[in-house]
Amino acid sequence: MRILWLQRLSCCGNTHSFLNYEKIEALLKNVDFAFHPSLSNESEHRVLQRVLSGGQRIDVLVVEGAVQKDDKEVKRISEVVDFVVAVGSCASYGNIPALHREDVSGLGYRFKEKGGLLGTDFLSKGGLPVINIPGCPAHPEWIAGTLLNLSMGTKLKLDEWGRPKDYYSNLTHWGCIRNEYFEWKVETHQLGSKKGCLFYNFGCRGPMTHSSCNTVLWNCVSSKTRAGTPCFGCTEFDFPRMGLFETKQFAGLPAELPIGVSKRGYIMISGVAKVFAPERLKVED
Amino acid sequence: MRIERRLLSRVEGTAELELSWKNGQINDAKVRIPTSRGIERVLEGRPFMDALVITPRVCGICGHAHLMACVKAIEDAIGKVKLSRKAKLLRDITLLIEIIHNHIKWFYLFVMPDFLRLGEGLNGFEPFRGEKWKKALNVSSELLKIVALFGGQWPHSSYAVPGGITSNPTYSDVSKALLILDRVFLFFLEDMVGMGEDDFQSIRGAGLWEDVRGDLGIFIELCMKHRMEEFGISYNRFITGGEVFPFVSPGHFTGEKKLCFFNLSKVKECYESPYSAARAVRYGGLPYETGPLARQFLSGNPFIKRVHKSFKDSYVTRVISRVLEVWEMLVAVKDKLISIYTSVDEPSFYSSYRKPEDISGSGVGIVEAARGTLIHRVWIEKGAIVRYQIITPSVWNLGPRCERFLGVAEKAIVGLRNPVQAEMVLRSFDVCSVCTTR
Repeated sequence: MRILWLQRLSCCGNTHSFLNYEKIEALLKNVDFAFHPSLSNESEHRVLQRVLSGGQRIDVLVVEGAVQKDDKEVKRISEVVDFVVAVGSCASYGNIPALHREDVSGLGYRFKEKGGLLGTDFLSKGGLPVINIPGCPAHPEWIAGTLLNLSMGTKLKLDEWGRPKDYYSNLTHWGCIRNEYFEWKVETHQLGSKKGCLFYNFGCRGPMTHSSCNTVLWNCVSSKTRAGTPCFGCTEFDFPRMGLFETKQFAGLPAELPIGVSKRGYIMISGVAKVFAPERLKVED
Repeated sequence: MRIERRLLSRVEGTAELELSWKNGQINDAKVRIPTSRGIERVLEGRPFMDALVITPRVCGICGHAHLMACVKAIEDAIGKVKLSRKAKLLRDITLLIEIIHNHIKWFYLFVMPDFLRLGEGLNGFEPFRGEKWKKALNVSSELLKIVALFGGQWPHSSYAVPGGITSNPTYSDVSKALLILDRVFLFFLEDMVGMGEDDFQSIRGAGLWEDVRGDLGIFIELCMKHRMEEFGISYNRFITGGEVFPFVSPGHFTGEKKLCFFNLSKVKECYESPYSAARAVRYGGLPYETGPLARQFLSGNPFIKRVHKSFKDSYVTRVISRVLEVWEMLVAVKDKLISIYTSVDEPSFYSSYRKPEDISGSGVGIVEAARGTLIHRVWIEKGAIVRYQIITPSVWNLGPRCERFLGVAEKAIVGLRNPVQAEMVLRSFDVCSVCTTR
């Protein structure tokens, strides 16, 4: 399988995240990079000319970074490849570069609005819409795994946002080592604390964000919440929200509750949990 | 006169070199950075803590340095922020690891493959396939596990917050980090300079850069063959605004035999450029080079003093400085990691304000990033950012011309006769266009 990787309005963070993939040597035996702007010796101009004139077949186009409305190259290449993959939240939703620029978007979305550069009805030759791998950056496993699955010819299952279900069907909350504090509603009162859940006071989006950050660890060793940093919800269309370290409150409750949890259920269960929380969770050691 | 535009690959982001040719020689060069993402504007109106998440997104390879400059600027604005020794040490460690990882990746992935384009048969350095290429990539991602052990992840951790850090590492995290570091020491000695520690220490003491073996030795040999020691000379003026304890302190070199203090008030960004989305930055009105060459020259690294004496601020001096800085930083990180053992029980965080709305004021944060001095400035009113300004190392090195002077990289390219060598000279600054425009 031959890949063409392009960068547009980006910080190149997805490239560097991808380069951390633990099995990258094995991956490179399975897939072939026709071009990657940070790594290849050839010039982008020459490669694009060759591809667009039919001189080289490309199976998968990977785009990193938000795109401008007039990006004809990305549009034209998207038509000739089997699959189009948007790597990172910029290419997926527009993200930071699109915040103040109307002419900037992701490939298939502009924040929550469907469309983006390639339009609402886009399907690649392989029969899929843009495959979104959001994250700021995307985890190496999500990028490499998706590419590998495509190279094996598997039929990817995508969620309503075009994200592979393999990596985005669970919540970031899953596997978080502070889960027990969440269950018993033991709050963190100060950053840098070993104990407590960051959902209540520090804006942690773990229970509202789809990712496998806490089950497939970052750099094989940790994750934001494991390091005491709240999840900022970077795989969702509305990243970066205002007040990233804040939990908005409404009538004494978090303004946003974990996905699928009713207000009534939350009040009842958290009240009981707080009363019966084990002491060992409450004392700092 | 002929104008040629070359879009560079193997750099961070998009950079274009516009060369004016006359009689087979480059008589003008413009470094064009086409696009900006407007990150400083995105910050306006947001709670100041948001900057800790958004500013790392300036750059995918030195985002951690942005986090550190940002947290320092915010702490400066808050005023009287107490930090534990542990928090300070860990911040230093993760920042240095990012720099070391950058230098290794840059040398093997960005610099060495250029010699393939000059017709050298260096199969080991071939992108995606070469054994050395793959090994270097492996070592650099292994290193980043240290950042993740303390900061949760790399890229784009936000574990440094005003008053400390969010994590509470254990002894075993520190021990694991030391194990990883040992492997990188070995890689530096065996692969990069091709000798044991004792031999390396003795040539370092005397500054005998020409005795270096290993992959850096191969590089030096190739440079001499292609006369790269004659190319890439710029203003020979160096600046370092940040500190890397214990071996780098702020200062600048004016080009004559004079080392001077660094005075922040002399740093000025000039007007918008007609051809680049970047602005020019000057110190006392003059262009300066920042980065490993500046750091290592100013701190008196014996290797760099000697190589600079022979070849000034040429391509070869610039590359050797970056590669040999890896050693200085490895030694510093190891010392700091060992010091953590005695401070693991200290608090990670001290609270420094009651409510964010109480905070008004301005602050500045200066750190040394992989490519040189990084400056963040923040203006806060009642807890919200009203203005944010970032001056990146790449603005110093790759920024455009002002009314009086060419940019530092532009000056280094004028006069060359081979376009591949012009690209190589530009790459010797470790091009980061994403930082240049933000």
